[in-house]
Amino acid sequence: MEVESPEQLQRKQTTYLSFGENFEIQKEVYRGQQYSQIYFARLHWMRALLYSLVPNWKSHLPVCTILGLEEGTECIIVGTLYKHMKLKPCILDEYSKERSVAPLVKPHNFMNQDDYLVLEDESGRVKLGGTVLSPSVYVTGVVVALHGKETSAGVFFVEDVLEAGLPPQIERPLKSREDKYVVLVSGLSIGSSSSNPLQFQLLVDHITGHLGDEEEQGLVAEIVHLVIAGNSVEISRGILSGQNLASKDQSRLSEPFKELDIQLTQIAASLPLDIMPGSSDPANFSLPQQPLNRCLFPGSATFNTFRSCTNPHCFELDNIRFLGTSGQNIDDLTKYSEAKDKLDFLERTLRWRHLAPTAPNTLGCYPFTDRDPFLIDSCPDVYFVGNQEKYGTRLVKGSEGQSVRLISIPRFCETGVAVLLNMRNLECHALTFGTQFSS
Amino acid sequence: MATPAKNIEGFYKQKKSNTSKSKSTKHAAATSSSSIAQPPALVSQGGSLDLKDDFDEEEQVLRQFDMNMAFGPCIGIPRLDRWERAQAMGLNPPKEIESILKRCKVKPQSLFDGRI
Repeated sequence: MEVESPEQLQRKQTTYLSFGENFEIQKEVYRGQQYSQIYFARLHWMRALLYSLVPNWKSHLPVCTILGLEEGTECIIVGTLYKHMKLKPCILDEYSKERSVAPLVKPHNFMNQDDYLVLEDESGRVKLGGTVLSPSVYVTGVVVALHGKETSAGVFFVEDVLEAGLPPQIERPLKSREDKYVVLVSGLSIGSSSSNPLQFQLLVDHITGHLGDEEEQGLVAEIVHLVIAGNSVEISRGILSGQNLASKDQSRLSEPFKELDIQLTQIAASLPLDIMPGSSDPANFSLPQQPLNRCLFPGSATFNTFRSCTNPHCFELDNIRFLGTSGQNIDDLTKYSEAKDKLDFLERTLRWRHLAPTAPNTLGCYPFTDRDPFLIDSCPDVYFVGNQEKYGTRLVKGSEGQSVRLISIPRFCETGVAVLLNMRNLECHALTFGTQFSS
Repeated sequence: MATPAKNIEGFYKQKKSNTSKSKSTKHAAATSSSSIAQPPALVSQGGSLDLKDDFDEEEQVLRQFDMNMAFGPCIGIPRLDRWERAQAMGLNPPKEIESILKRCKVKPQSLFDGRI
């Protein structure tokens, strides 16, 4: 039998551009500022944008500030929404004289039918009425333009609402592309009791081309990039009690990282990878989360294919723009509003042109003074969120021909599902890894 | 509430000889006798006594800049940084504010600094 010498399969390459400087806070200096500064920056930027969109929407109506509202006159006002929620936990409840019986179980969602919306700008605030603006859809921090009039009760009756809509998208040259795939995964949770090391090892072996025959390896050679969208490790709460650790416990603290580093070294030796911090990773709590320290990855950080990135993360591969987070922004929207599908939340943040509208109200955020880094000024081609319950995807079309692929990446430790995206046509499908043998 | 002073003239701030109004709300909380050390509100940053009571024309102009809502909140951000931010956002802040701030001898922080 002839033994053929094996062909070397070359992995395809892409160009990579990072847009992460916007989310880095090394240059920021804290001088005692409050969150009013970031709200001002947000309102200023969004209001200028909405003023430019108002003539195409309803050009015959006057635009005024909230303090300039006159009773009975139809006009357009622009401001930041504030949602008053009865069930939202408030620090002042601890100090209130009447101690009502607090529910023992904290609700996952703080919505109530008595919630109402208020619109604010620098001059004042006005309560919003009418049925057009539903408090179950909107959250605090969204900037919108409203058409309506003030009633005698002092409430602004809303007749129509204008959101900023999808941002402009840079045209991608339609050159005939070849199939190139990006793998998106999140929620590896190494170190948790529910993570299965064999499952992750299967993923690593598959991506690096150690599994399968030549045909499968040929398909895998078209995978050009891996993005890990947060929650790569999970440290058990028992260790983090604030007590001094015995030396045997100290190794328990670093075990998850050693395991992760071994796996990432195998991956980094094979293809470029981006790792983002998540809510359970050792990074700062408030958004934007800063990149995980390279000292955590002594093996993999030596490769130039290894990139530690911020959360949220924005980058371009072969001129296709990716934007995504590790899930804290969508999880916060889930607590304070409702939708049929997580992808609805994702689409809303895109139409509001803001990655995390509830920051800094209920989501931790750095108090920027001169800008709001979560404003989306250029429409991505791929918009993803990590650490969700299940895999989901949708193609969203904008009014000016924008097209965005929304992806909800499930937690790998629970589902064993990673997402494979084809950069040629932005189609994606799920890569499922299982280790149970059905009998 | 402050207790009534034995010496009523020492309790209420005297009107200054120049015509500008004095912002005396903070001084109304001062203790009656003026011979004891000045209350903390009067001691500005750096330890020197803030007896001049705020007013020259330049400070007045800067306070108007602080109070102008169009340039955003003034608390927690130095005046020059707020001016530069307003300039970068295209809000056209008056150029004279920048020249006053760049010359020394004016307070870099807004009027609410240290008081809120």
